Amino acid sequence: MSKQRVVFAWAALAPFLLLFTIFMVYPLIQSAFLSANQTYGPGTRTFVGFDNFTNLAEDPLFWKSIGNTILYAMGSLFIQLPLAFGLALALNSKKLRGRSFYRLIFFSPQLMGLVFVSILGALAFEKRAGLVNRGLAWITSNPALLEIDWLQSNIMATLILISLWLYVGFNMIYFLAALQNVDQSLIEAAEIDGAGAWGKLIHVIFPAVRPVATFVVLLSMIGSLQLFELPFVLLDGSGGPNNKGLTIVMYLYQNGFEIGDLGYASAIGWALAFMLIGLALIQIRMVRREELAK
Amino acid sequence: MHSISVALISLRSLSAGIWVIVVLFLLSGIAVLYSVQPKTESIEMWVFSPEHQAMYLPMIESQSDDEKMKPRLSLMSIAAIKSRMMSGFFGGLPTADLIEVERATVGQAFMGPIEAIGFRDLTDRMDSEGLLELFNPPSLSPWSVQGRVFGLPHDVHPVMLAYRADLVEAAGIDLERVETWEEFFDALSPMMTDLDGNGINDRHAMSFWFTQPDNIELLLLQGGGHLFDAQSKPTLNLDLNAKLLATIVSWCVDPAEPVIDIDEFSAAGHQARIDGTAIAYLCPDWMCSIWKMHVPLIAGKMKLIPLPAFEKGGRRTSVRGGTMLGFPRTSENFETSWESAKLLYTSPEIARELYRAVDIITPVRSLWDDPVYDEPDPFFMNQRKGQMYIDLAPNIPIRTSSPYNTSAVLEIRDAAVNLAQWAKSNEVHQSKDLEEKAKELLDIAQQNIVRKMSRNAFTGVEN
Repeated sequence: MSKQRVVFAWAALAPFLLLFTIFMVYPLIQSAFLSANQTYGPGTRTFVGFDNFTNLAEDPLFWKSIGNTILYAMGSLFIQLPLAFGLALALNSKKLRGRSFYRLIFFSPQLMGLVFVSILGALAFEKRAGLVNRGLAWITSNPALLEIDWLQSNIMATLILISLWLYVGFNMIYFLAALQNVDQSLIEAAEIDGAGAWGKLIHVIFPAVRPVATFVVLLSMIGSLQLFELPFVLLDGSGGPNNKGLTIVMYLYQNGFEIGDLGYASAIGWALAFMLIGLALIQIRMVRREELAK
Repeated sequence: MHSISVALISLRSLSAGIWVIVVLFLLSGIAVLYSVQPKTESIEMWVFSPEHQAMYLPMIESQSDDEKMKPRLSLMSIAAIKSRMMSGFFGGLPTADLIEVERATVGQAFMGPIEAIGFRDLTDRMDSEGLLELFNPPSLSPWSVQGRVFGLPHDVHPVMLAYRADLVEAAGIDLERVETWEEFFDALSPMMTDLDGNGINDRHAMSFWFTQPDNIELLLLQGGGHLFDAQSKPTLNLDLNAKLLATIVSWCVDPAEPVIDIDEFSAAGHQARIDGTAIAYLCPDWMCSIWKMHVPLIAGKMKLIPLPAFEKGGRRTSVRGGTMLGFPRTSENFETSWESAKLLYTSPEIARELYRAVDIITPVRSLWDDPVYDEPDPFFMNQRKGQMYIDLAPNIPIRTSSPYNTSAVLEIRDAAVNLAQWAKSNEVHQSKDLEEKAKELLDIAQQNIVRKMSRNAFTGVEN
């Protein structure tokens, strides 16, 4: 490569490198330093070595936030994604009339935005006057159901239900795109071989959408681990009674921006980063295994 | 030299669009760098309440001809004030010259070492000008750290019990004679009935629930309990706290359902107030104006009495909420701000307006004999509400300024939730039978808060 081209390449890269260094590399290094300090805002700090990490290991609230986040992630994985896939299957059927309308309806909560959905969710799940309890009491003719305390005693169930409303339609779009790319000749071949609906689903459709499904699972898991706005709005910034709605990012926020201990918050951030890296590695391994199997 | 010319040749090959972006980048950068901030002579004051703004504006206009003395008011939400204030404090950057801060948000400003507190220590100045004696002493406690005062109190916020007098009097019950909580619930027990025959009690003596942290704190303070001692060490697991917690949780698990969970600020809650679902409400002075604004249908149907005590002869009031006026250290206009603040916070006109507009009584004791507080209030059946609150003001409990107070209150709330669940699953309803479990749960709450505080290298307590 000529020297002129090398200089040009560096000149072209320079703006990116500058911004990347200022906004990515520097904060990363700074957060590593911060995690070894106790701070009160950025101005006041004292070096504590690995204390933040040892405190984290012994901090029941941190483990509670991890437990809550994993529970939510499991809810996403085992309820939200199968529902999204089921909806995509239904809306991919040519027999269904008004498919575009239904797609819009299921996707529409995404257009409103997370905070607005959270506020509506809080109103819908209100004790006594909320739409959910009113509906349940009306359907079952049991006024005792008006007293279901969603936002105090059943926080995780409420979070999962509201996120179903928000994300099922969103994930459905990915599955729908994948389903529309399934090779029709394979389906026809399976039909000729006598495969029923279930057989086609298991042996043709599932393998065909697997790469997209793997991606959606990873996206959903990462999104779940980063859960913040929904419980923050729903529980008014706290973790709710017994911290049943406290997530990892909420705990990070509380420590960093409410208490002002950016050091402890950085330690939580690093713990979260390692979890996300672990998940990404698992996904890379799964994709490689699939590629090798081909 | 050669490499420079190579670079220039390379740059020449860039498209026109890129050059437009580069030129715009440079121009806007230079414009931002050299833009002159409009410097104003006057001081700046942040407030979170539109009512406060409306009260201060005429006063500011009339107070002086000197523009420097007139604070420019900026109205913003509590959350916005908190984040802007803390960003300024953390970064040592200028904020406003005067900031009104609500109690729930001030804790963060007191979290670090005392020398890092972003507000100016006002103790000596207040002492030299006689302001320490001027204000109601318990109203200074939430704004004081290690005996030093960091803000002027805006209010007192004593608490009374408001009740639906129309319903109570129609039932032939006299609540004016009630002295204790036990007597209160006994007096109202005949009214707790299923009105529509659906098997669910439609009327309850009081709105309160074990999930309401502010009201739990209010009742603990009333009963003499506290969450921190004078040295700001946590005291959550006091025997007295356990006794009080057992008492208030017993109200919630009593099969007769004397209390009910009614939201204080939502439309659904206001409808329940109109329906008379709960007869009585814990009512700090500021709550009166919220009802007048949002639930006018109960006007002329309510009455106030001092809070029933936990024991005969016990405290008949408590306290909830509060605002202070702080002077950020970074402000260069302290003297002007101080004079202006004194005018706003000690003026009889503002105190009068504060009561007329939002029913809040002033913490300035010398103004308590103002005739405005003797005016009958038609919303409360012409009771002289102002004087009733003032009579209770000196007796409000002392509160802590600990930055961990919010966490401690939430820990107590969690203990209350767990105690109520335990009581329901074990069918235990008597407060005495709940005390041991309450103590056990408060021990856990104490450990949690100590663990949290011990992580703070600046103000930590020993584990």
